[in-house]
Amino acid sequence: MDVLGSLAGGFGIALQPHNLIFLLAGCLLGLIIGVLPGLGGTSGVAILLPISVYIAAANTPTTAIIFLAGIYWGALFGGVVTSILFNIPGEPWAVALLFDGYPLAKRLGKPGVALSSSFLASWVGALFATVLLTFLAKELADVALRFGPAELFAVFVLSFATLIGLGAESPMKAVMMVAFGLLLAAIGFDTITGEPRLAFGQIGLLSGIGFVPVTIGLFGIGEIIASADEAGIGYVEKIAAKVGLKDILETLRALRQRIWLVAANGVIGFFFGSLPGHGATAGSFLGYGLARQWSKNKEDFGKGEISGIMAPQAAADASAVGSLVPMLALGVPGSPTSAVMMAGLFIWGLQPGPLLFIDHPDFVWGLIASIYVGHFLTFLICMTAVPLLALIMRAPHGILTPFIVVISVIGAYSLNNEMKDVAITIVFGIIGYWLRKMKYPLAPLVVALVLGDSTERELRKALIGSHGEWSIFLTSPISAVLIALAVILLALPLIGQYRRRRAGTGATPSAHA
Amino acid sequence: MFDTRSGALPTSAAGVPGGLRGGWYPFWSAAVVAAAGIVVAVQALRLPQADEGVFKDRGALTDLVRFILPMVVATYLMSDKLLGFYLASGAYVTYYAWVVARYRWYWALLGGVAIPLIVYLVFEVGFKALLPKSVFYPTTPF
Repeated sequence: MDVLGSLAGGFGIALQPHNLIFLLAGCLLGLIIGVLPGLGGTSGVAILLPISVYIAAANTPTTAIIFLAGIYWGALFGGVVTSILFNIPGEPWAVALLFDGYPLAKRLGKPGVALSSSFLASWVGALFATVLLTFLAKELADVALRFGPAELFAVFVLSFATLIGLGAESPMKAVMMVAFGLLLAAIGFDTITGEPRLAFGQIGLLSGIGFVPVTIGLFGIGEIIASADEAGIGYVEKIAAKVGLKDILETLRALRQRIWLVAANGVIGFFFGSLPGHGATAGSFLGYGLARQWSKNKEDFGKGEISGIMAPQAAADASAVGSLVPMLALGVPGSPTSAVMMAGLFIWGLQPGPLLFIDHPDFVWGLIASIYVGHFLTFLICMTAVPLLALIMRAPHGILTPFIVVISVIGAYSLNNEMKDVAITIVFGIIGYWLRKMKYPLAPLVVALVLGDSTERELRKALIGSHGEWSIFLTSPISAVLIALAVILLALPLIGQYRRRRAGTGATPSAHA
Repeated sequence: MFDTRSGALPTSAAGVPGGLRGGWYPFWSAAVVAAAGIVVAVQALRLPQADEGVFKDRGALTDLVRFILPMVVATYLMSDKLLGFYLASGAYVTYYAWVVARYRWYWALLGGVAIPLIVYLVFEVGFKALLPKSVFYPTTPF
């Protein structure tokens, strides 16, 4: 088989000593970032992105992407630890783990089982997803290679529509964020005519606003301002946690009873994650909902049911793996974290998208193989190092917070050696804090900013080709289907609102906030 | 602004009305921001407003200002030919640990020395990434 041969080649790359070391470093950093509340996987990857430039320069871009992806995997595992032990989610995708993870650890006194079942489910779920990725990514990329400007533009429209239609609390706020991102991306030279625009006479703005300083600001600085505002994070209730052999055996038995649930969540999570714009967070809630729906004893949920830990965790990890699919096959990020990784690809001089499979097979297959290795490594670390991970929570806040500021500044500065980028980071940190507080979703903003230039280019190329006729987007069958899907997705929140209005009068929308 | 046909291909002659010139796309992006913003504002005004306001009390707001302001000042001082990255970040870490987090002064100072030192070793020495230097450079190595 062609795929298996390529995969074997990929393993050859992923298992090279320097790649293994950077993978291990990434996973460990990710675990630490995941455990620390107030620092998420997206900010972790964003802050370390500039370091990856040096890694890419000293080795190859493959090593750099393996490192960044390792952070993602580590953060996926690490976010869970604090959810289960302290009832504080270290990551947004670990929120669903609060429902059953903490009760199992606290009320039923089985923290070891709770932790090991989440780690095991992460690994198994991701394994299913990675196998799917291995066999489907190339096929998807082959299809995508036949896309012209009209089809590509339709893909971008669809990815914005999924961000707005699914999951967003307030669809209009998501619309605003998408358009704001597109607007920010337009600053600088017009990619087609070369006209300067929106620079207001500032030479610094002519080169545009980079998405890296913006993302570091929105996520890194924004998150710590938010946690400085909320405070109360210092409080930690100690639960002694160690994963013993007995716990592992109990977990394995539990997994054997739930293997179909975990497998199904792995597969569903993968496909859900491969929709552009959705990562682990939405996947994890989806998994929890499905597990409850399918369970015979629904009343056990919320009281420490292992299915309520395994299902969301398997789905979350699988979605994270799935979110790499659109990045590799279409050049569209599948989640905010993969949007930042995609930014990395641009910086290292690679063009994300279907041509990667042809021009840089080493990169793609090395990355895919490293997902197998990385998840296994992280799983092993987690099983043995839980007490250490729990210790990270007690890192002194008074040093950690300024340290994050310092690291963010380095990250923003060292890309182009310009203080302008540092200023952008700080400004967007404050903007990001405010948007967060006002409950604006940040993911649409980041994805739109990353995709903005390509969206405009493809739209205008399509219109130039059709002499300005918009019908080009409907006469091409692929783009017609994609646009139709996008319209349906955009209509979903409206239908939901209509239903809610008919169903009851009492519930105000703010109740969900 | 509405007619895409008259100038689908950008003309070299400036001042041709309509068509897809550089401003077309940002104009419509901004138009969508404004339109969505109006809808969000209308929705927000129709909902009952929370009593406590955006911040819990004045204290929450001053805490926030006390956090953001030093950060802005510190990052400004990090510029080349001012304090430079290392001195400014050391001062910032010390300030934060001592004044905001109320650590004992020697622990704060330790953090303020250790963090820039680690950054120096990792970036300047390890990665050969040069960060902004102070006005004292090259008399001092930072």
